[in-house]
Amino acid sequence: MKLRAAAVVVALVGLGIATYLTIVHYAGSSPVCAIAHGCATVQKSDYAKLAGIPVAVLGVIGYLGILACLVRDSEATRTAAAFLAIGGLGFSGWLTYVEVAKIDAICIWCVGSAICMALLAGLTIARVLTSPPELAQVR
Amino acid sequence: MSKSERAQRREQRREAERAATAAAARRRRIRMLLGAGGLAVVLVVAGIAISASGGKAKPSPAATGSAAKVVAGIPEKDGVLGDPKAPITLTEYLDPQCPICAEASQQTMPTIIKDYVRTGKVKLQARTLSFIGPDSVRAAKVAAGAGQQGKEWAFLESFYAAQGEENSGYVTDDFLTDVLKAAGADPGKALAFADGASAQEALDQADAQAQGLKIDSTPSFTVTRNGDEKVVAVGLDDLQNKLEAALS
Repeated sequence: MKLRAAAVVVALVGLGIATYLTIVHYAGSSPVCAIAHGCATVQKSDYAKLAGIPVAVLGVIGYLGILACLVRDSEATRTAAAFLAIGGLGFSGWLTYVEVAKIDAICIWCVGSAICMALLAGLTIARVLTSPPELAQVR
Repeated sequence: MSKSERAQRREQRREAERAATAAAARRRRIRMLLGAGGLAVVLVVAGIAISASGGKAKPSPAATGSAAKVVAGIPEKDGVLGDPKAPITLTEYLDPQCPICAEASQQTMPTIIKDYVRTGKVKLQARTLSFIGPDSVRAAKVAAGAGQQGKEWAFLESFYAAQGEENSGYVTDDFLTDVLKAAGADPGKALAFADGASAQEALDQADAQAQGLKIDSTPSFTVTRNGDEKVVAVGLDDLQNKLEAALS
């Protein structure tokens, strides 16, 4: 239960970040950024979209998916949440690499989201590994 | 076998069954997790492949061809575009690789150039910084070379239109030659100037001026009246209104 509650809190934080970046993206403005220049540079870069979809929108979808998986507790939803979090962590890792190695600018919001995904990956994997046997019967 | 021994064996059997069930459940969970993780990795790799190939395609000469028209016909001397007698100087601190500078050049600067520079009210000056990386340094030096021919702004506009992936090494002499041609500059002269000490001096001077005004991001705009230079806008936020308010 503690793992689930912690995952919900982290997913809500991540959802807040992704929602903010999505609003900023469509408003055409620059994110409030602690490190001058970085956020806007990252947001305007070619890597800010995946197949035409802003990565911030993908983040919103990912966090909503994880939250949806946390609503109902079964082995399947635990596995699905872990799947989304591992995928999210992998893609966040790639974007962080791109920021450092290719764009040469750090977006503190994106780093925050990557940290949320890393925490969620740990929490959701722990939930799968510690599932009580009776959850296998829940459909 | 006594009754208590039978009960003990039964209990041991149940215990073994429970342990086997728990072990099987754990194996199943690990299999599910590995499956989910594996699928996630496959999707992430596919996403990375799409993302990595989503960078700008190699700029085509056609993309650079028309960009310089925005400054066509306006006199330029020492990187200052417009009437040298204009009482106000608008200075843009830029990096040729900065995507927001390119956006500003497409969204805001055409109106500013048309309404203020072409009319002789304002002269426009470029301070070319190069903090994004090595491709910026080379581009900034060549921009200074184009400036020697009165083509710095035409070069910058053409460069923005052909901007590639930051620091990917795309700013080659071939690329710069295409951009210089699109700007109407002599590529041989501009590239030769870029190799000399004067080009580095131009970069150092721009850096020093930016530091003096505590400018650490691009694009940043200053307005100079009676020798007094003040920062009036940073970034794209409300840029048009800020510039018009500062210039009016």
